[in-house]
Amino acid sequence: MKMDQPKVGVFLSDGGNEVSRILDFDTLTSYVKDVSDVTFVAKGTKFWEGNGLQTIANAIKEKKINRVVVAETLPKLSEVKIAQAVENAGLNPYLMEFLDLKDHCAWPHQDTPTEATEKAKAMLRGAIERAKLLEPLEKLEFSTLKSVLIIGGGLAGMQAALNLADMGIEAHLVEKEPFLGGLAARAGRFFPTDDCAICIQAPASDVKTITHTSRKCVYRSGFSEIPNLNILNNSKVISVEGEPGNYKVTVEKKPRYVNDRKCTGCDQCTTICPVEVPDDYQAKLQTRKAIYMNTPSVHPPIYAIDDSVCKFYDCKKCVEICPTNAIELDQKPEQITLNVGGIVVATGFQELDPSIIKEYHYNDYPDVLTNLELARMIDGFGPTGGVIIRPSNGNPAKKIVFIQCVGSRDRRYKPYCSSICCMVSLKHATAIKTAYPDADISICYIDIRTTGREHEYYYEKAREMGIKFVKGRPTEISRNPETGKLVVDVEDALLSRFLELDADLVVLAPAMVPAEGTQELSELLGLELEKDGFFKEYNAKLRPTETKLKGIYIAGGATFPKDAPTTSLHSHSASLKAAKYLNAGKIIKDQRTAVIDEDYCGDCEFCPVTCPYGAINLLPTTEDHVVARISELQCEGCGVCVGTCPLNAIELRHSRPNQMSAQMKGLLSVNGSSKPLVLAICCAECGHTAVDSSGMARMKYPANVRIMKVPCTGILQVHQLLEAFKAGAQGLMVVGCKSDGCHYEVGSQITAKKVELARTLLKEYGIAPDRLEMHNMVYIEGDKFAEAAQMMTKKMEKLGPLELKGGS
Amino acid sequence: MGFSDTVTRQLGGETLTLCYQCGTCASSCPVAKITPRFNPREVIKLSLLGAQDEILSGDAIWLCCSCYNCQERCPQKVEIADVIYALRNMAFEKGDFPNIYSEFMSALMNDGRIVNISQFVQNKREGLGLPHLQPAGVEGLRKILSATKFNKLQKQEKSQ
Repeated sequence: MKMDQPKVGVFLSDGGNEVSRILDFDTLTSYVKDVSDVTFVAKGTKFWEGNGLQTIANAIKEKKINRVVVAETLPKLSEVKIAQAVENAGLNPYLMEFLDLKDHCAWPHQDTPTEATEKAKAMLRGAIERAKLLEPLEKLEFSTLKSVLIIGGGLAGMQAALNLADMGIEAHLVEKEPFLGGLAARAGRFFPTDDCAICIQAPASDVKTITHTSRKCVYRSGFSEIPNLNILNNSKVISVEGEPGNYKVTVEKKPRYVNDRKCTGCDQCTTICPVEVPDDYQAKLQTRKAIYMNTPSVHPPIYAIDDSVCKFYDCKKCVEICPTNAIELDQKPEQITLNVGGIVVATGFQELDPSIIKEYHYNDYPDVLTNLELARMIDGFGPTGGVIIRPSNGNPAKKIVFIQCVGSRDRRYKPYCSSICCMVSLKHATAIKTAYPDADISICYIDIRTTGREHEYYYEKAREMGIKFVKGRPTEISRNPETGKLVVDVEDALLSRFLELDADLVVLAPAMVPAEGTQELSELLGLELEKDGFFKEYNAKLRPTETKLKGIYIAGGATFPKDAPTTSLHSHSASLKAAKYLNAGKIIKDQRTAVIDEDYCGDCEFCPVTCPYGAINLLPTTEDHVVARISELQCEGCGVCVGTCPLNAIELRHSRPNQMSAQMKGLLSVNGSSKPLVLAICCAECGHTAVDSSGMARMKYPANVRIMKVPCTGILQVHQLLEAFKAGAQGLMVVGCKSDGCHYEVGSQITAKKVELARTLLKEYGIAPDRLEMHNMVYIEGDKFAEAAQMMTKKMEKLGPLELKGGS
Repeated sequence: MGFSDTVTRQLGGETLTLCYQCGTCASSCPVAKITPRFNPREVIKLSLLGAQDEILSGDAIWLCCSCYNCQERCPQKVEIADVIYALRNMAFEKGDFPNIYSEFMSALMNDGRIVNISQFVQNKREGLGLPHLQPAGVEGLRKILSATKFNKLQKQEKSQ
């Protein structure tokens, strides 16, 4: 683009004498005045308040400067205020370059003031040269729909839908089953409150649902009557198109064959239905009819027909008996289109099928159950009405053995701790013991993990009640073929004694695994999965419930098994994130984004694959080839695509190669010390702040070390690393975030590989590869930076001067 | 270097530190069920705690019958039987091993067989119409045994 003739104003703060005490400000001022295109120089003490801000504003208005270079201290306070003042004065705030002469120069080099002053010259030169090449950036606005799709109608999905609806956002809750509640509804009661599973916070203040006849109890409240809430049962998302803020979602809704406006839930249909099948919902401990309802407490309390077993018109007894003509056997699947701004994935988790662990004989022995199946037995609405029986003969179970970590913490199956099973077993054991004090209950465990609030009391209560704990993981369950009794073979590791525990019933605590269909949904939405198969949360601390795709959030157990309170909490977080994103009806962001030069781009797929935000798509052009297209909405401006593009067809608007190159040359233009120049290219996140913190703590490293900031080290290309040596660096440090803590997810990992490649190339060129190093550090590791900078300098001194052969 | 580090650097000993003492190995072990002198979980625990002398000079590691039940069922994929082999190798290096192994070795070096050709066996073979067993080619075997440093066992046996 065509640039104005730059007129640079430079503002030098003495940081309240703390900078000028060490650096020679007169020398700096006269140096800066002589740099070409610098038309205004001011010295001051505090450019980020009152008169200081006024000085900058006046220079813009009266001296007509069009680039601002500020050397100030306390960047976290000053930078934003100065940028605002620049904007208020009528200059685009992206035409400003900021540097910190205190933490990056004066303090770390206070023992060598002359050398520090020379370094300050180089820093100013780098900033001025970069500033000259900066271009104005605009603010972008994108409109968004105030509606959200929630996938999964369990605890997390119901909570998210309710929250969003409550905040005035249209919530579409899609559940694949005919009834809401998911895993939570089957689990019955929840720890640590022993209350009903799916009871969640009811809408806060809605006059339509909170009336004198309605209640806060979620089972009895008019959940479906909540304004802004659209419940789609028996439904599945089959396609998602569009961008964050504006998705077009197609949902396929299977027929229920029962008209929910006519059904009164009178139960005559199930009485007459002749088809009887094992009831999966009730752990197959009872049968149900082809027309059924899971339990009377479900939502909606409307019957549904299981079309995999119903005989339809060959039978139609239900049609004949239904007093309200609610049964409609000719209902057809329908496709529903939803326009939504955001998506919340709340698909949860499920139990691992423990039959893969042969030695526990789940499926072979009917008296071996899982915790979820036991939960159905404990539930009063369950198949046994709350009585604990041996499924093999229906007799009461008196001796019960629980086995923990069935497939969890097991490197053959699921290496992780499923985190809730200890509490689930403790809850079940104490519930049974309360109802049947003479029950003989043992829990075989590896470690009991009761880390949540009040969880340890469950463990304490269980011991008080006489539940026995055996520290040992059983090797096998066997069955006496004559009596049918089970025997659990276990070593009590605390006693080094072998126990053969007789059992009427053995309850397994299987690993919790991602819900069925997780893989399929991840592909549909373009979301990544963790190695354990759960949905990948962007960062559990920095950005919980977010995904790499803006506008798509995850709530609850879809990211990892969670207990009810944590699920609820997580779900609140996801709903807040979605609401925050969509509530204004528009998204405003700046243009610090990547741009493609379509003349060069074509036919490779590197950038869409590496972009951490899914912001790049390949679009076919007229001439039978594809080019990359960047979504300015989704681009976060890291530059990972820039560093990946083999054709140099991508640039970041705020870190173009010529801007970086000019800064690099400036930083290396003056040495002023006898030590070899070392350039440290730092990412703006952890890397650069580690340098800040070393300076703040007045840790020392020599002034030959020069700091250059880039948005993310991922922007660097191999040839840029090599160019640093041409520009005069004797050693080069690349400083990024920790490889698993990169603020742009993959940047520092990718850069580490590029650094390795560049080292190989250096070796080819006859240059010691040790002249280039990758470092990963975080803000609080300033000491690590100072030490690395010292070491690098020493190493370069030892290696001697770098001599580049051949032309430039 | 601690004892457990040394063990993990041995062939077969690499997985030692994965153990979290669940006891699946012990309850899978046919030897542990009949004698308190051997418990695979305890062997692993003592190794982790660095009880070098107790492990290498004791008899526990020599009682493993190598059925690999423990290894098959270990949820942490600790290669327990292989760790025990690693410990045996370390004990062997120290010269701590049951005499029976020296006897086997001498028999091999001298006769090329671990089990001597007894008259009982010869009679039995005659009855079955099989030819008599002949002395093996001891010279060739000795060469192989020496090349594989098997004869080291002999030296240590003498020094015992």
